[in-house]
Amino acid sequence: MAAEEWSGELARHLGDRMLSLIPFARTLGRVKFRPEAALEVFRTVHDDLGFDHLSMVGGIDWVDHREVLYTLWSDRRVAYLFLSADLVGSDPHIETASAVWPGANWHERETWELVGIRFDHHPDLRHLLTPDGYAFNPLLRAFKLHEPEELEVKTRHV
Amino acid sequence: MSEMWINMGPQHPMTHGLWNLRVKIDGEQVLDVDPEMGYLHRGIEKISEDRHYNEVITLMDRCCYVAGMSWEHLYVLAAEQALHVEPPERAEYIRVMSDEFQRIGSHVMWYAAFVQDIGLMTPFLYGMRDRDLVLDLFQSYTGARMTYEYMRVGGVRNDLPPGFIGEARKVCDWLIDRFVEYDQLCLNSDIFHKRCDGLGVMNAQACIDHGITGPMLRSAGVRRDLRKDRPYSAYDRLEFDVAHAEAGDVTARYLVRMEEMRQSVRIIRQSLDWLEHHPGPVLAQELPRWLGAPYAPVGREGYLLKRNYPKGLGFSAIEEPHGEALAYVVNEGSEHPYRVKFRSPVFANVSAARQYLVGYRVADIPPIMGSVDVCVGEVDR
Repeated sequence: MAAEEWSGELARHLGDRMLSLIPFARTLGRVKFRPEAALEVFRTVHDDLGFDHLSMVGGIDWVDHREVLYTLWSDRRVAYLFLSADLVGSDPHIETASAVWPGANWHERETWELVGIRFDHHPDLRHLLTPDGYAFNPLLRAFKLHEPEELEVKTRHV
Repeated sequence: MSEMWINMGPQHPMTHGLWNLRVKIDGEQVLDVDPEMGYLHRGIEKISEDRHYNEVITLMDRCCYVAGMSWEHLYVLAAEQALHVEPPERAEYIRVMSDEFQRIGSHVMWYAAFVQDIGLMTPFLYGMRDRDLVLDLFQSYTGARMTYEYMRVGGVRNDLPPGFIGEARKVCDWLIDRFVEYDQLCLNSDIFHKRCDGLGVMNAQACIDHGITGPMLRSAGVRRDLRKDRPYSAYDRLEFDVAHAEAGDVTARYLVRMEEMRQSVRIIRQSLDWLEHHPGPVLAQELPRWLGAPYAPVGREGYLLKRNYPKGLGFSAIEEPHGEALAYVVNEGSEHPYRVKFRSPVFANVSAARQYLVGYRVADIPPIMGSVDVCVGEVDR
């Protein structure tokens, strides 16, 4: 499918809930959407655009904000699509996708405990990989495995 | 009879790894299940943020300890895209051949463990014997039997040793005959059918809703295989069929895995033919010098100079022995990946345990979970 045709179809279905479409090699691109409209975006992408398979949910800590990234697959289009939303503020949260894709359940539990993104109305938001009561989000940039090494770097004066 | 929760695990013959299946039972009836993971969580994604690009490959072997080669392949594909590196064609064929030998190794290991679970001891010994042949091959060109560290960003570490292709062909010929015996041992056995037929049924829609992939999905009648649908490396130049079945039960998963092994032999034979006639480099010639070393030494005194690397995002999706494995690597221009994320197929397959376990009996749990082929290393990462 031509790129313009695809972005036109996306714009028609998602309207102003879509912020931008960033092309990405061998996929249908990365769609940035407004996090407040998450549930409607999920429903549209699942029901109208045919992305019925949720492959994974992940989060990236960009220090000033966090990004939640959904990877979707469509059997009809035979292609991957990324959905992403930027979450700002001290308590990043977004609506759960598990009402639309039941398989999102564990992926969101993992993202919640490791990246610290809360999923509203999640049916079962418990620790999955880390012990109950574990108070850290290891995948945040502020969580250091060790203090930075004091490397003595010689510089060359030319 | 009153209802109660029991723990199957973390130490239980059914689990094949360190995890706990909490089961709510009423007598022999399974009412609810709750898999507890995390016993093997090593934080591989976090450790990767602290390592150079080629050092992450070591961790990939530990991700799935029966399919290390596939996970290395997954990571290097994503890293190559993030770092703008192209591997030579010969390396791609070697990777495909390694992947398929790994698939056979993983499936034979699964066969041995699964069939033993349902009470057939002989196939276990046969399976372990034949898996050793595959591991011997791996040892001959990577030096290791389990944690290979063979693939590199930009190719593979070394070429195949002399005489390897003949040996590999012999193993293929041996294996393809053994698969017939495997089938005879299982499919002619009443015990096998009584313990497997009609258990753990998942239909196609339920599989898709819960993100189930791989042999479990194909056993429900969906012909989806990333090697065909989204070919990577050399798969678009090789001929093979997608194994599939319709019933969606334990027996169907067995049949799909058996057929996959036959198709793997087919792919290996084609790639061996290609490799025999196309010598060449196996590592990209114009590899950036900094790859693997964070600081490129300049001059005789070893002055250190920090480089500015091109940024990029890499995404890869491969058909691992257990299903679809995905990865993305975020390269923000430093010597370490900014963020690495992996999607394990078994993670999704186990998360749907409620769908295929509830309603069956306690004694059905080992064959059903066996047919899922759980590898805890990649679930917990």
